[in-house]
Amino acid sequence: MRNQYDFYQGMMTIKLKGKLIEPYLQACTRQGCQISHLKRIGDEEVVLTIRLQDWAAVRSLRKKYRCKITIVGGKGVPFLVHRMLRKTSLMIAFAVALILIFVLANTLWSIEVKGLNPELEASVEKRLKSYGVSPGKLTIGMSDPNEIQAKLLDDIPDLLWIGVKKQGTSYHLYGVEKIRHDTDKNTRPSYLVAEKKGMIIRPFIRKGRPLVSVYDIVEKGQPLATGELVEEGEIFVHTEGEVIAETWYKVEQQLPTRHILNLTDGEPKRTYGLKVGSIDLPLWGWWGKDEGTIREENVITDWQIKGWKLPVQWQFAASYKMDPSALEKSKEDLGKMGAETAKRSLKRQLDEDAEILDEKVLHLGEEHGKVKLILLFKVHEDIAETKYISQGD
Amino acid sequence: MAKWQQNIRAWIGRYFDLPSDVMLDLPRITTIGSIHVYIENHTGLLHFSEEEIRIQYKRGQVRISGKGLGIKMMLKEELLLEGELKAVEFFPDQ
Repeated sequence: MRNQYDFYQGMMTIKLKGKLIEPYLQACTRQGCQISHLKRIGDEEVVLTIRLQDWAAVRSLRKKYRCKITIVGGKGVPFLVHRMLRKTSLMIAFAVALILIFVLANTLWSIEVKGLNPELEASVEKRLKSYGVSPGKLTIGMSDPNEIQAKLLDDIPDLLWIGVKKQGTSYHLYGVEKIRHDTDKNTRPSYLVAEKKGMIIRPFIRKGRPLVSVYDIVEKGQPLATGELVEEGEIFVHTEGEVIAETWYKVEQQLPTRHILNLTDGEPKRTYGLKVGSIDLPLWGWWGKDEGTIREENVITDWQIKGWKLPVQWQFAASYKMDPSALEKSKEDLGKMGAETAKRSLKRQLDEDAEILDEKVLHLGEEHGKVKLILLFKVHEDIAETKYISQGD
Repeated sequence: MAKWQQNIRAWIGRYFDLPSDVMLDLPRITTIGSIHVYIENHTGLLHFSEEEIRIQYKRGQVRISGKGLGIKMMLKEELLLEGELKAVEFFPDQ
């Protein structure tokens, strides 16, 4: 045990030459030195081993006793470390190895796709490649699994679900294919009702008995067709079809005539820095003052080794100078603009098949710096809504 | 005075059955066969060579003679010798 401890502390073998060796050694031990492996090799010469921590005491006493010290060698951890530090190539190799381990640990080595047929698997792999996720690429800067999952689900419509899991240096994907069921096979008895108020233009009932005809005005919830084929009959069938009706939408808008816009010239002032723990170390571009209103965009990297976040992260920020400017528009321009936006937002609310036939400006007036606009839209859309008849049993 | 103190110490050591090296400031020399010598409570190394080692203690000197002697460890009041031991002689002060 003692030997191991000395090895960590470091031991020195030295040669002493002089006439007063014994008193010198005695003085050293009185200072608390530990002398070992003392051996006489000549008339006035001895070899001995001391601990590294005693070296200062031994050295300071040598003048008084007129002894000459020659260092024979050193053993132990401090000497090993010292010798290693002196080998530059070794240090470089060590650093390179560290970097290499970091890079290799952050490289994607394999992608495994499970649970899909080969065709879909190939398309998933192709998609992944287009996102920059492929074997041999660095995972630094790659989007995280959740993002990949969302993108895959968006881009491949045949996927019902896909799980993306990052396991060490590989991605495991588990997919479920969408199986299309024919929804037309629905045979539950039902009837059609109006979804909203409107005037019937083209009723087209594929199954069932129509209850309305062209140019009829229907209220919301009014039956359009029924599954009861014969009045007071026993047979109820599934009703199907579409009823195109004219519907009306009234839009009221109030638009200010003056707008303040924040403009930027697109030339950012960039700053770079390191983030060590919670301390920010600005490196470049931190000088100069920000004047006026600015918009800042901050990015901090997320470097990791095997899921362990590194304490040192790179951060950069771009600040854009904002230039507010006022914009004034006339009543007519605003009226046009308002109609345009109203049409667009209405289109978003309606079904894809619905078409806006006509728009009418009911009112356009200006008061207190604001333009009031009332519009009426005429729309042709399908208002049929299937209602199931619950069969109590 | 010193003599009187010495007598008191010897009496206390006997009365309380204490080890004599503690009470009387004498060196304790332990040998393991003739290969190791362990000396405690010495006050100084006087001479040291392969054939002979002389050690000072409070009231005299000890001479250890042998062949190929070396000091394996040396602390303030302890010495561990190794080699081929032949004799241990005492030279008390007169």
